[in-house]
Amino acid sequence: MKRALQVAGVLLLFGMVKLPLEQGMTHDLRKRRLLEEPLRLGVGEDLGQAGLAASLGGLRGLAACMFQLRAHVEFTHVNWAKVDSLYKLVTRLQPREARYWEEAAWHMAYNAASFYLYNMELKPSLRGQLYHDHVKRGVAILEEGLKFLPDNPRLWQKLAEVHWARTKNYKLAGDAYWNSFTHGGLNFTERFAAYAWAQSNDRESWKKGYAILKRLYDGGKATPGLIEYLQMLERHLGIPVTQPAEGSRAGGTVRQPQAGPVR
Amino acid sequence: MNTLPIESAANPLPPKVRFSLRRVWLLARATVTQLVRMKILAFLVVFCLLAAGAGFAFSVINPEQQLNLLKSVTLGALQIFSLVIGVVSTALLLPKDLEDRTLYTILSKPVPRFDYLLGKLLGVLLLIGGGLVVMDAVLSLVLWLRQTVLLDAYLANLRSEKLDSPEAVAQVREIVARQGLTWNLHWAVWAIFLKAAVVSAVALLLSCIASSTLFTIVITFCITIIGHGEALIREFFLTPNLGGTFNRIASFALAVICPDLAQFDIVDGVIAGELVPWSVVGDMTGIAALYVTVYLFATHLLFVEKEL
Amino acid sequence: MPETPAVSVQHLTKVFKGSLGKGAFRAVHDLSLTVHSGEVYGLIGPNGSGKSTTMKVILGLLRATEGQTSIFGVPSTEVGSRRSVGFLPENPYFYKHLTGRETLCFYGSLCGLRGRKLNERADEMLVLTGLEDAAARRVGGYSKGMLQRLGLAQALIHEPRLLVLDEPTAGVDPTGSRVIRDLILSFRARGITVLVTSHLLEQMQEVCDRVGIMARGRMVREGRLEDLVAVENQTELVLENATPELLAEINALIQTAGKDARLLRSGRPRTTLERLFIEATQESGKP
Repeated sequence: MKRALQVAGVLLLFGMVKLPLEQGMTHDLRKRRLLEEPLRLGVGEDLGQAGLAASLGGLRGLAACMFQLRAHVEFTHVNWAKVDSLYKLVTRLQPREARYWEEAAWHMAYNAASFYLYNMELKPSLRGQLYHDHVKRGVAILEEGLKFLPDNPRLWQKLAEVHWARTKNYKLAGDAYWNSFTHGGLNFTERFAAYAWAQSNDRESWKKGYAILKRLYDGGKATPGLIEYLQMLERHLGIPVTQPAEGSRAGGTVRQPQAGPVR
Repeated sequence: MNTLPIESAANPLPPKVRFSLRRVWLLARATVTQLVRMKILAFLVVFCLLAAGAGFAFSVINPEQQLNLLKSVTLGALQIFSLVIGVVSTALLLPKDLEDRTLYTILSKPVPRFDYLLGKLLGVLLLIGGGLVVMDAVLSLVLWLRQTVLLDAYLANLRSEKLDSPEAVAQVREIVARQGLTWNLHWAVWAIFLKAAVVSAVALLLSCIASSTLFTIVITFCITIIGHGEALIREFFLTPNLGGTFNRIASFALAVICPDLAQFDIVDGVIAGELVPWSVVGDMTGIAALYVTVYLFATHLLFVEKEL
Repeated sequence: MPETPAVSVQHLTKVFKGSLGKGAFRAVHDLSLTVHSGEVYGLIGPNGSGKSTTMKVILGLLRATEGQTSIFGVPSTEVGSRRSVGFLPENPYFYKHLTGRETLCFYGSLCGLRGRKLNERADEMLVLTGLEDAAARRVGGYSKGMLQRLGLAQALIHEPRLLVLDEPTAGVDPTGSRVIRDLILSFRARGITVLVTSHLLEQMQEVCDRVGIMARGRMVREGRLEDLVAVENQTELVLENATPELLAEINALIQTAGKDARLLRSGRPRTTLERLFIEATQESGKP
């Protein structure tokens, strides 16, 4: 009995000493993004018992992978609601994994939206409605992801691409491309921000776009596409049109620039 | 043989028997071979097949996903392996030696009980550590091979579609490198080992108290699961004015009893590409060593007077 | 200066605490015994009499509730007391995956032996116990008798002054038992003290100098074997080639001149089943 009490005493004392150590360690690891924040308990029911046990057992990444694979299977069956709900779980389990947000948005804004748009079994008005709903869903997913990863240039880039190609909101596309660039995105995102702004209806955006393209032009980085958009902006802003460099095309039709690397 | 014993009643040997690393090592080696004979390392073969399968299956998903899946599956398998082996092996050791009377023949020799305990625990840790080293090597090899194949295929695809601008190529290389083999993966495996060490020490403590191996295994797994949520429980307790008296007492008790095993769950962060600095490695190792030392000390207090 | 006894047990009481719902159990009650250096002491008694418990307390595997035990003057609670002891438990079990030699080297290393000395001792013990041919075989393939002999070998490997043997011939065939008994007698000849427990009384009778008889946790009789087993008022005569006439004369003599003496029985002495078994199965001595 004496020994049992001694052991209980040792464990109790150690237990009290370890609490602040553990607390400090946990905060440090969360700050360094090596540990996730605790799982939001409301999601527990959706995960199912096995998923919840896995996620509490330090296997959140594995659980997310498994759900992602299931989502892929549902994608092949064009079960879009299921794809969306599974990716919701995936992004809850791994909110700081940009790739999952990107994939979830891609499925909604591109695959699902296009599926409904070209589904001849539906009435035209419904097709259009569903198309827009799913594009909006894709945008919402990326915006939610950016709350967890506000500095992720890829997510900003993907948001820009969706606005450019799907919602046709060029101001928002330009803003997103610019955010991507300022957070360390690839060089082309700076140019594409200007291109998007050039196609918007916002004067302030035109000015920002013009400043970027003029700087690049003066720096000797003129491409035919850049020259065309620069000329477009000069017309919007009433600035004397820049003479194209020798060999480039004259002003006129605007080529659609490639929206980033092909997936 | 006609030699009389060396000692005589007039010249007795000094009674004190001190701690001996050599003795501990001997017991650890015997434990490793004992566990290996139980075919525990068959899991290694299963793991290698799993790694190969996870690495080269699922080619329908994109390369980044494939690499991520490979790491998640294999590191998840490493976690499961190390925890299950740690709990089950340790829970079996003492009862088996007691049942077989091997414990009598060992402790009837001049072997301090602490040496015996430490030797057993060290043996389990050597087994887990050795298994993890092998599996880490297999994982690294499969990951490196897969990443090389995927990168080449991806670049060839870009070239064929004339989309291989320097920026696109740089982005692809960066993505594949981040998801591929990095030094941080080995720190993740080290963290898995540290967690297994703590859990094994808990199992050893419980096996001293419990009379049934099954009971030890079940309770250790319960503590392991609670340990992964101990941070939540601890934060609940440390937040003032939260919850009723009973809840606060219960959360205090659980937070004090259970180790915080989530501290070693850096696997997901590493897979996501986060760096593991030396300070974190040092802190994790230090806290694991503290847990193991205290649990081993508590086990010794119990075992030294255990009726055999 | 009186020699330090090999084993000293003074007023030993051992009570096992009961678990939930069960009372405490007193396994040994106020037991005292002394084993002198160089003798073979038999501790006998029925199952559950406390023999094994007493041995375990002597070896430090259990703690006494009351009283003290010591080995060559060193309290049993000290780990150092085990330097002088070799123990063979009942039905010994060794790691199956090790060979006989590896098993001996393992236990020898635990006792502090190493290098050439360890190997030499292992070889000596294998020869002593007749296991040199099986040294390279895995223990998992050993017979019961071989396991017992291996157990003896590991008990002796570090040259102990005291051997504690718990039921050394339990489950062993008569030939193997004979070998073990002969070994015990050789230990005595070499000055090694032996404390042996058994409930095979005939075997104990052949090897012990002194015996202690336990029952229900207490020592009920103790002393030199000859003194204990002698039936004081009876005399045994064994005659060879006696004719019936001679036997009749002896009987008549007892009746007329024997006063209170009377003939209890006569007939042919019997060999033992054990001797018969050994003669019938005689081999080279190595089962």
